[in-house]
Amino acid sequence: MNHFWIILIGALVGSSCSILGCFLVLRKMSMIGDAISHSVLPGIVIAFLISGSRESLVMMFGAAAIGLVTVFLIQMFQNSGVQADASIGVVFTALFAVGVVLISLYTRQVDLDLDCVLYGEIAYAPWDTLHIGGQSIGPKAVWGVGASFLLNILVIGLFYKQFKISTFDPALAASLGIPVVFFHYLLMSLVSISTVASFESVGAILVVGMIIVPAATAYLLTDKLSRMIIISIVLSIVSSLLGYYVAYLLDASIGGTMVAVTGVLFIVALFFSPKHGVLIKKWSRKKVLQQN
Amino acid sequence: MFQMIKKWTMIGLVLVVSLAGCSASDVSKEGKETGKIRVTTTIGMINDIVINVGGEHVETTGLMKSGVDPHLYKASQGDIKKLDAADMIFYNGLHLEGKMVDIFEKMAKKKPTIAVSKNIPEEKLHTTKDGSKSVDPHIWFNVKHWISATETVGEELSKFDPKHADDYKQNAEKYMEKLRQLDEYVTAQIATIPEQTRVLVTAHDAFGYFGEAYDIKVMGLQGISTASEYGSKDVSELRDYLVKNKIKAVFVESSVPKKAIEAVIEGAKEKGHEVNIGGELFSDAMGAEGTEEGTYIGMVRHNVDTIVSALK
Repeated sequence: MNHFWIILIGALVGSSCSILGCFLVLRKMSMIGDAISHSVLPGIVIAFLISGSRESLVMMFGAAAIGLVTVFLIQMFQNSGVQADASIGVVFTALFAVGVVLISLYTRQVDLDLDCVLYGEIAYAPWDTLHIGGQSIGPKAVWGVGASFLLNILVIGLFYKQFKISTFDPALAASLGIPVVFFHYLLMSLVSISTVASFESVGAILVVGMIIVPAATAYLLTDKLSRMIIISIVLSIVSSLLGYYVAYLLDASIGGTMVAVTGVLFIVALFFSPKHGVLIKKWSRKKVLQQN
Repeated sequence: MFQMIKKWTMIGLVLVVSLAGCSASDVSKEGKETGKIRVTTTIGMINDIVINVGGEHVETTGLMKSGVDPHLYKASQGDIKKLDAADMIFYNGLHLEGKMVDIFEKMAKKKPTIAVSKNIPEEKLHTTKDGSKSVDPHIWFNVKHWISATETVGEELSKFDPKHADDYKQNAEKYMEKLRQLDEYVTAQIATIPEQTRVLVTAHDAFGYFGEAYDIKVMGLQGISTASEYGSKDVSELRDYLVKNKIKAVFVESSVPKKAIEAVIEGAKEKGHEVNIGGELFSDAMGAEGTEEGTYIGMVRHNVDTIVSALK
């Protein structure tokens, strides 16, 4: 049963992250998952200083608050003309640095770092069960990540057209009367909520990887957004299945192997994609040359 | 678009279920035939207690291998099997294992999952100076605390397997006697260091209990967590202290990088005071399996002998 739960959690994290990842890749903001994984440090320190406890719930609350601050600052800087990658870089390094300074000032005597108070471990997630009236209703991670997956599907599904137009052509969207800025912030809030919820149950590497790699792979395989989203979800599910099996064979870190498999799939797509693949391009160039 | 999502999710779910089904059957078969109690522990020091107390009735595996820093431990797929197949689990507790402690507390509902630190009276535990409820988890540095941990393991094994309760009691008694001798040895050895140079300088603050129990001043460069960073003021303060009190040696730890402490040595040298690296101490992890330092007693003896010969 544990195997099933872990694969299911991996697939849910993957699906939830890759839906958002598609939009982030198209906006050249795919490093935002990595950014949030670092910038939440001051959040947990402040939450600890206020509450004096390292309870998961308190830590997650602090992290979620700073996660939102992170994406809002990034979006704000970007709106005022800073390049996307630069604004991500500036915000997360600055916030991470604040966290390091806070730890060295106030909490040197406490074992307080992201790895041990915020990041969960997918291998142990099946035992972290939720109970209602003394009855176990499955791992907490399934419910938490599942809820954020549904939220993402719901919001993106409802405003699919708006998200799509404001991603590809913000100027056109604005002229059509779509509140572009609002949808940017909405997308960013979804990113923040999904990543922090997933960090807490499965750890950082899986989330950061699942945001970028399946979406980037799907980008190579299709030119249509709706297809890109579906392909990236399928890729992330396949990766969590295969990744778990590889982890089982090698006795390795589960999150690590799942992301490694997404990387392998990416390379396969890079070479063999029917439209943009390296080999296909080479081959068609040869054909053109021969014809001349 | 929703239609397509639905279709693909269904296909995905079917895949998930089928693969999970075929791999689930091959786990948790080993060890059952031998009739031994299967115990899983976290750090090597606890594993050592279980080996000594459980004797022939118990088969024990540790999650963290030698040389691994428990603060930064990364789980592997095999851990699931180890935890799943275990009849009992022993861990340190007091947040040493980080977020895993939450999991262990949940698992306690299903099978005996015991923190070996649970019977150490609260007033004997070190809390941090900043007034929060955080406790220093490195209890094994005070051998008396480890005697209490041994007692806990003995009691819990007897409770789980009453048939062999007498054996566990005897084994625990034997091991505790060895630990008592070890405790006396440490006290006597440390006392041979002249009082003004009786200072233990290491990279991270793991030796708090050691210092208190055996009357040696302890100074660390890093905080309790090996992940926290040290400030430049820490380096210069520690350097000045070494120079002023003419401390002969500082120590490196097996599971913490040497770089930090080397900066202090360089600094002292510039001020004209020669400090040596007194040797490598085992702090959060024991030595390699099969060696003398791969046991708790061997590890403590190694630490004490290293400290005494460098500072005397």
